[in-house]
Amino acid sequence: MIIAKPRLPGLLRGIGLALASAFMLAYVLAPIFWLVSSSLQQEAELTSIPPHWIPDHPSLANFRAIFLTGLGYAQPSANGVDPTSGGFIPSVAGNLLPAMGNSLIVAGAVVLLNLLVGVPAAYAIAKIRFRGRSAALYIILATRVVPDIALVVPFFLVVRKLGMLDSLMSLIITYLAITVPFSVFVLASFFEQMPDDLDRAARVDGCSRLQVLLQVFLPLALPALVAVGLFAFLASWNEFLLALMFTQTAASQTLPIIVAGITSDFTVSFSFLNAAGVLAVLPPVLLAVIFERYIVSGLTAGAVKG
Amino acid sequence: MALRLSHDDRAAYSLLAALAVVLMAVTAFPILYSFWISLFSINLRRPRSQPFVGLENYTHVLGDPVFWDSVGRTAVFSVIAVVSVLVIATLVAILLDQDFPGRRVLAVCLLIPWAIPSVANGLMWKWIYDANYGALNGLLLQLGFIHSGMIWLGDGSKTIPLIANAFIWKEVPLAAILLLVTLKAIPADLYAAGRVDGATAWYRFVHITFPALRPGFLLVALYEAMMAVRHFDLFFLLTEGGPGGASDVVAWRIYVETFRNLSFGTGAAMSYILAIATLLMSYVLIRSMARKL
Repeated sequence: MIIAKPRLPGLLRGIGLALASAFMLAYVLAPIFWLVSSSLQQEAELTSIPPHWIPDHPSLANFRAIFLTGLGYAQPSANGVDPTSGGFIPSVAGNLLPAMGNSLIVAGAVVLLNLLVGVPAAYAIAKIRFRGRSAALYIILATRVVPDIALVVPFFLVVRKLGMLDSLMSLIITYLAITVPFSVFVLASFFEQMPDDLDRAARVDGCSRLQVLLQVFLPLALPALVAVGLFAFLASWNEFLLALMFTQTAASQTLPIIVAGITSDFTVSFSFLNAAGVLAVLPPVLLAVIFERYIVSGLTAGAVKG
Repeated sequence: MALRLSHDDRAAYSLLAALAVVLMAVTAFPILYSFWISLFSINLRRPRSQPFVGLENYTHVLGDPVFWDSVGRTAVFSVIAVVSVLVIATLVAILLDQDFPGRRVLAVCLLIPWAIPSVANGLMWKWIYDANYGALNGLLLQLGFIHSGMIWLGDGSKTIPLIANAFIWKEVPLAAILLLVTLKAIPADLYAAGRVDGATAWYRFVHITFPALRPGFLLVALYEAMMAVRHFDLFFLLTEGGPGGASDVVAWRIYVETFRNLSFGTGAAMSYILAIATLLMSYVLIRSMARKL
């Protein structure tokens, strides 16, 4: 049915919408704009009053320093002047790229494991009426609301006892547990919407449950798989609390840990600090912008019923 | 009598096996283990003596005014956060529910705060609030609202609202997307009927849109309250509980008790109290989610 939603008269409505849109864009984008602008300014310009909202002489010196030291082509300065005005490179600069690598490995592994563990479980919940189904459903949903801070103490003691502190494995396993309930829920809502006839017809043709899942459901579920993969990736890339507890050295420190360290390091210039922030923000923002449709439909599927 | 499993039961259990192992080992076991730990006096500073103390950690925590002060701050933070998120997200959802050129651009931009890491969010706002060179002082000075730079995070009376603001900015997108779903579900003929009856836009908002949004409000409020009550990252990044304990919330208290005082027993007791509080809060949420499947 196509009946328009309530509308104000033309011109008034146009002005109202334009104003509201401008307001919303400013609210959402202004802080990010300032982060990026700050990362491109020279330290002298950045600490001038009033602030230069748009850099007079944008410079990529911070990013060059991060990549050159990260790849081993340059060394951090022992001491000296600022990176953006004279080539000083803070000692943490070289840690950013390796930390980004750690974050990528962890997030990638968590995505794969989420799909491996989550897809079969979601299919069972959505398409098989088995004994204990509602109990399973409640347990999965309840684990979704356990606060991560409540798991920190036992996680830490167990990880320490297993000798897994300061390893990527401890992060991968705990992130999997944190993300997989939501993945199952989103996937199950998606499978649920697929006709039962599809399931029945395939099994009449002699397919096993697993074959039905792999050959009939999975290809159709691609948008849901993408959404779930993105959620798991972003959650792992962004996670801070557990990484703060488990990681100790560059061997396992993820990007948020290094960036948090820089935030409270008074020897690092404001300009460099913002560059580190941009580095952490860029990958998730690109993913969100590129896959916006998948994310919104996934969030909607994972949303609660009113 | 042996439990008889149908073919379907067995298929389902084997498909669920991997998930069950993960959740048992990495969620259920830690939760139980955490309760066990909370019954001992464990301090890593004296690893040889870890006596069983029963519920003493709980009575100690619940009788500690420092803990209750942090509960109070958590409550203030959560109320500010939840109310603001609801108001802003409702406005955003109503805007995105309209049909106009540029709507897609707005929808895409809206996802940006949702996607960025909380650490980057903390860094960004800490720099904006900076007392010497921050953008907030810069902007207010340029606009003539203030005549000299203000101290923001360092002023205990402003700390909680300022941290809440950073939290709200990041939480609005998800809340708006969820509310938009509820809005889209309002049947258009309801509005058509309202228009035929000559209802004004305001009347239609109050009597059609608002009531229809109510269930969405409830669930978003619950979800955001859960997120706010447990929030840790911004408190760590922006103020470390300061100045002078002004942002010492429950999540921060758990962190300090456990990893700075190394008192794992009371830390676990506090986490358990927090977990039970959120679980009670989320009961409604869980039930309505289960109804969906």
